[in-house]
Amino acid sequence: MEFGFTEEQLMFRDSVYKYAKKEIAPLVEEADLKSEFSMEVWRKLGDMGLLGLPFPEELGGSGADVVTCCLSGEALGHAGVDQGHLLALGAHTYLCMDTIYKHGTPAQLKKYIPKLASGEWIGCMGLTEPGSGSDAASITTSAVKKGDKWILNGTKTFITNAPVCNVCVIYATIDKKLKHNGITGFIVERDYPGFSTSAPFHKMGVRASATSEVILDNCEVPEENLLGEVGKGFEYTVETLSWDRSALLSPFVGCMQFAMETCTKYSQERVQFGKPINSFQAIQHKLADIKIIQEAAKMAVYRVAHDKDSGKPLNHMHTSIAKAIVGDWGMKAASEAVQIFGGYGYIHEYPIERFLRDAKLGQIGGGTSEMQRFIISRILSYF
Amino acid sequence: MNYDLTPEQLSIKENFAKFCTKEIEPRAQMLDEATHKEVDKLIKENIKMMAGIGYLGMGHDEAYGGTNLDLISQAIAGEEVAAACASTFLSCGASSGLFGVPVKLFGTDAQKKKYLPGIIKGELIGCFGLTEPGAGSDAASIKTTAVKKGDKWILNGTKTFITNATIAEVALVFAYNDREKGPGSGVTCFLVDKGTKGFSVSKPFDKMGFRGSPTAELILEDCEVPESAVLGAVGNGFIQAMQTLEYGRIGMATVCLGIAAKCLQHANKYSKERNAFGKPINRFQEVSFKLADMMILSDVSRLLIYQASWAKETKNPESAVLASVAKVWASEAATQISSMAVQIFGGYGYIKEFPVERLYRDAKLGEIGEGTSEIQRVMIAKDLIRKYAA
Repeated sequence: MEFGFTEEQLMFRDSVYKYAKKEIAPLVEEADLKSEFSMEVWRKLGDMGLLGLPFPEELGGSGADVVTCCLSGEALGHAGVDQGHLLALGAHTYLCMDTIYKHGTPAQLKKYIPKLASGEWIGCMGLTEPGSGSDAASITTSAVKKGDKWILNGTKTFITNAPVCNVCVIYATIDKKLKHNGITGFIVERDYPGFSTSAPFHKMGVRASATSEVILDNCEVPEENLLGEVGKGFEYTVETLSWDRSALLSPFVGCMQFAMETCTKYSQERVQFGKPINSFQAIQHKLADIKIIQEAAKMAVYRVAHDKDSGKPLNHMHTSIAKAIVGDWGMKAASEAVQIFGGYGYIHEYPIERFLRDAKLGQIGGGTSEMQRFIISRILSYF
Repeated sequence: MNYDLTPEQLSIKENFAKFCTKEIEPRAQMLDEATHKEVDKLIKENIKMMAGIGYLGMGHDEAYGGTNLDLISQAIAGEEVAAACASTFLSCGASSGLFGVPVKLFGTDAQKKKYLPGIIKGELIGCFGLTEPGAGSDAASIKTTAVKKGDKWILNGTKTFITNATIAEVALVFAYNDREKGPGSGVTCFLVDKGTKGFSVSKPFDKMGFRGSPTAELILEDCEVPESAVLGAVGNGFIQAMQTLEYGRIGMATVCLGIAAKCLQHANKYSKERNAFGKPINRFQEVSFKLADMMILSDVSRLLIYQASWAKETKNPESAVLASVAKVWASEAATQISSMAVQIFGGYGYIKEFPVERLYRDAKLGEIGEGTSEIQRVMIAKDLIRKYAA
């Protein structure tokens, strides 16, 4: 048991941090304010090779391990990159690309992965529906085979990257009666007939990621764009959880570090009653709590990464604990950070306001905090 | 990065769990309810039993009978001991840890030879005297004095809240030998044997929890010790104490983890057996989500303890902070978890016939002993300020 990183991993984290701080962080404030996904940020992420980290070099990736993918997310968050763009990266790389990479045919890999890895194309993944969130197996979007095409009908909602996507991994059921076993994945391109997206949602946080509905109205998908096997789609979504609970949570860990450093500096500069406010124990207490939560989150998230790197089967206890810590304790850390900034924590001109709004997603997106407790308690009931 | 326990660590876990469940846990309630006199006898027996399976030697050198195992292995074993009986963990820890570790780190060869073999065998019990009636978190404000007189040191003062005081054969006593030099170089640590002239122990305190581990005052009235009783060098006492407490913090976090894990085990089992409204109460989310929170909190305690142990073992510059982080998290987790356990047991959680009542009382010490949560947070914050606001 050891919790250090390799020299190479540390150097990589450092280079991502420096690059992001200089090139990306200055762009995100405006994007967040306007709720606009920034293509400039996206290109810069692509230029640095951060959109295809875990895939083989011959497909345009870097062959990085999961811990390194997490370090990338952590470094970006630490540098002050907003959670919106980082969520866009997460949905693109880990929810869309990785599913294609794992279950796609060689032709599908060749067609999609390099374009997505460079950032030329943007990917998304559609599972959630207006009536199907935590109870994911209850989706109603249907897929019917008609000649050499699949015809998809239904609506997907809360789909990160949908308004800007070129390609979407869509889950639909071939027969609702089959429940989990009817769910099937498809690779759907934006210009397929019958594919459209709604106007983007106005979100509380992660505002620079574009989110909307995906509407499938007799959408025609060529036979060769079936992803993997019929009826295996639900398994594929469960597999992405190992990314969802590692690389997609790592930016939250980095953002906590960002907030911790920003709050420590601010509380030194801010003078009240004749001394820096961090000389008051009430403020010290909050700084310490942010640090404690950051350590807890880091340990829980990297454990999922280590599990995945060592090829272990998905450990639902580990993934749910990581998600709950990042979500619930992360909100506490964010709230304390705003409190340290006082009035300045409440306005957009200071970065901490965004941190709180972004943190809230940690309790909802990709499985609510309640679902994590449901999963944990179900496992406990077997002991 | 590797979160896996080694095969040796896994077998330590298994062996300690087996032994402690069989030999120590059945005595926990008895220790808790015993009179002071009985406690002294029973806890000595427990220390002896733990020494018998090598627990007290895990952190000590082979030359003195130890096995020199890493801190993570010690935490793994410690969790099992604490889960079986927190008082046993505390008394063993005060003897081989709070007393034994500074002797190991700072003592002369003669001192190590004199004390460590007995400590490791459980035949000799030690204690650690830093806290005073007027000096807790502000440890530099201790009043105990040491005055050199010929070839002797004369100690005067009172130490309080001293775990093992009534059963210890030897105590570490921290005293100012030169107040003007301040804590950095004016405090010295002395090894004071039981029976030394002028050294006595008060009657034990009646504590809320950890009732199976005796606690009392050490009273030094013109207590005379020889030059050879100085631990290491004159003037190093405060630094020795602070370094020892870093280990102590990991230890206190570990005992909290053991208490928390035991609460979860009891509450989980009970909630499957207890029926209400026609089904086991673990089918209600008000109960099952409490269990989930208990699991989250205790599991993260374990991760943070392993991280702090690893950091200390590898001399990571963050090790002191990470020990404080682990201690705050694990101790506050334990009070929350034990409270949830009592709540799940309902009325049965409130009576001594069920074990969570004791665990709830035991848990509270974690937020106080070895540096309160408040002082840990102050130290963590000061480290952040030093790093990021300088």
